[in-house]
Amino acid sequence: MKSSSNLRVHPDFPDKQNHAPALAILRYEDHGNLGEMLSRLQTELPQLLPASLPPKVVIKPNLCDVVSWEAGVTTDPAWLPMLARKLRAIRPDVQIVVVESDAISAYKSFRSCDETYDRLGYREIARQHNIELVNLSRTESIEISLEGIPLPVQVSELFLEEFYFISIANLKVHAYERMTGILKNSLGLLSNCDLSPLHPYLSLLINCLHRLCPPNLCIIDGRIGLEGHGPILGEPVRMNSIIFSDDALSADVAACKLMMIPPKEVPHLRSVAKILGRGFPSISLPAGIQARAFDFNGPSHREILLKFSNRRFHRSTELLTNLWINRLARFKREPIKFGREVIPKLVRRLYAR
Amino acid sequence: MPDRLRLGLVGVGPVVERYHMRAVRGVPEVLPVAVVDLDERRAERFATCQDIPFYTTRLEELLGKIDLAIVALPNAAHAPVSCELLGKGIHVLCEKPMARNVPECLLMIEAARQGRTELCIGHNRRFRSNVTLARRLLGKGIIGEIRRIDAEEGSTSDWRRSPAYFDPKQAGGGALIDVGIHLIDLIRWCVGEFSEVEYTGNGTATAVESDAELRFRMANGAQGSLVVSRTRDLEQRIRLTGTEGYLEIGLWSDHLRVRNNKGKAFEQMPHLDAYVSRRPPQDASFVLQLSNLVNAIKGFEPVLVNGQEGMAAVEVVIRAYGQIAPPVVATPAVLSGGNQ
Repeated sequence: MKSSSNLRVHPDFPDKQNHAPALAILRYEDHGNLGEMLSRLQTELPQLLPASLPPKVVIKPNLCDVVSWEAGVTTDPAWLPMLARKLRAIRPDVQIVVVESDAISAYKSFRSCDETYDRLGYREIARQHNIELVNLSRTESIEISLEGIPLPVQVSELFLEEFYFISIANLKVHAYERMTGILKNSLGLLSNCDLSPLHPYLSLLINCLHRLCPPNLCIIDGRIGLEGHGPILGEPVRMNSIIFSDDALSADVAACKLMMIPPKEVPHLRSVAKILGRGFPSISLPAGIQARAFDFNGPSHREILLKFSNRRFHRSTELLTNLWINRLARFKREPIKFGREVIPKLVRRLYAR
Repeated sequence: MPDRLRLGLVGVGPVVERYHMRAVRGVPEVLPVAVVDLDERRAERFATCQDIPFYTTRLEELLGKIDLAIVALPNAAHAPVSCELLGKGIHVLCEKPMARNVPECLLMIEAARQGRTELCIGHNRRFRSNVTLARRLLGKGIIGEIRRIDAEEGSTSDWRRSPAYFDPKQAGGGALIDVGIHLIDLIRWCVGEFSEVEYTGNGTATAVESDAELRFRMANGAQGSLVVSRTRDLEQRIRLTGTEGYLEIGLWSDHLRVRNNKGKAFEQMPHLDAYVSRRPPQDASFVLQLSNLVNAIKGFEPVLVNGQEGMAAVEVVIRAYGQIAPPVVATPAVLSGGNQ
């Protein structure tokens, strides 16, 4: 294995919780041994791996399609045994759970999470290493409302429990969001299959999901990245680097740096940084790791903004129309009661003005 | 058994018009065929509006015409009317409270046993989506061991009530037996049995209480308070506080708020608001309640709120009032204008 000591810590990130995110960008060329990489990480940046664990650890890989990891689209299942070994060294009885959900693609084709587990080799590896695979779309879930998003989302009841969370993403460009990393990977935590109605609110949603389930350990597997028409139909590109962090925003900004994408062009990164009250961390790549300007074949940023603002406008007019139709129906059904409730409110509003 | 159960509506006051009739239209296994109400004009108007072929003012004219009845009458009439129907082989969905006192409840249970019929009590809130979700989460121990229960329901803007509501003899009580019994039933269902109750209310010998407060201890040791009012706007919710978090059940909405101190979702979020879809029918609990009874009649599932469950809630109210109920004489003559 060839890997250089490329560990960097940024203790000076302004963070609301007075927590200095740790970040490591490692060069990696030997595809056969991820375990040694984790050991090295543990030696050189011990704060990234926990000293103790709760009874459960949840791992969220990126399994957005049935495509091998060598294509740069999905997460390599080889991470599972390596992580399992490391985690069980910390707590032997830890329950390791891998989660992903069913999805409906932008082309309205259904992708079964269980089929993805089978065909990408996760099922076999999980069986060998006593790891549980969970399809979040088939677990008991609750519908929750998130601030600023007009549609309810479904999250598994798993998130009400205590666990240590590891998110493993890939180094990829994304048609709508410019890039996809740890923060965008959290969309797979929703039990909803069809996320297309939520796309106009993607940044807000990612923000909420980051608050709902912040990763304890973020891994962006950049051994093979994906450029062109991401996140699925692009071209693989060898990058030989892996990003580790305990902070999703730092990990994603580091990924942007590797792909030479300005973080401010990524809507959800801008939004998360703003809400966390931090700027983008300044990250310089360690020696031996080369950034590469990833090709991007998606629509322009302006086109996306226009498309989604149109959809948000349509949605808000739809909601407003529904509201007035409901009011009219109530007025027809119970005019006196309706009047008794509405008139004092109107008077209060006028008075407030 | 016929494909569709013939349904009779006994008492057609606002609760039947607003809720039960809509539920009946949502359960295809049920066919409304008869209406009974002492107010003949109201019975006729209701039957005409709802396209129901038969109406009457006499309960006995229903016999042989129906398989199932919804009894929504003043509380004093619940026991005698239900007993008569149950004893004649007619299944009954009786509005809450089951009756004014425990002996009346026992008579109803006995009548159902003798008539081999199903008796369901209208604690419809058990069927609400937020309540069922809350119960599921509690079953998983999401808030740990329950230590404290706070329940409040009250409003000034109430709908039109019949005079029977305010007559202590006919109603058997005021806000507690009318509104509070829903809360008592939900607390029993979610947490367990009440062990000690201490009641304060503003009722007199001639007037039912408009405000009531119940301080109680549950069999599991949890303590709590229950406040109901017909004169004040209160927070319409039950809050269950446990060793590891809390859970808040909305009573007038399908709202559920949850927090588990250790849960991953609560590292950065103070709580989660479980949102239950508000698409029509907004409150499906009446439909689900009637479906449950129909399924029980067909032998597919047990009645969720049977006579024993209804009686247990009444028993808590009676203990609170400290009343010794007079023995009941089942007289169908007390069937008066539809209540609720």
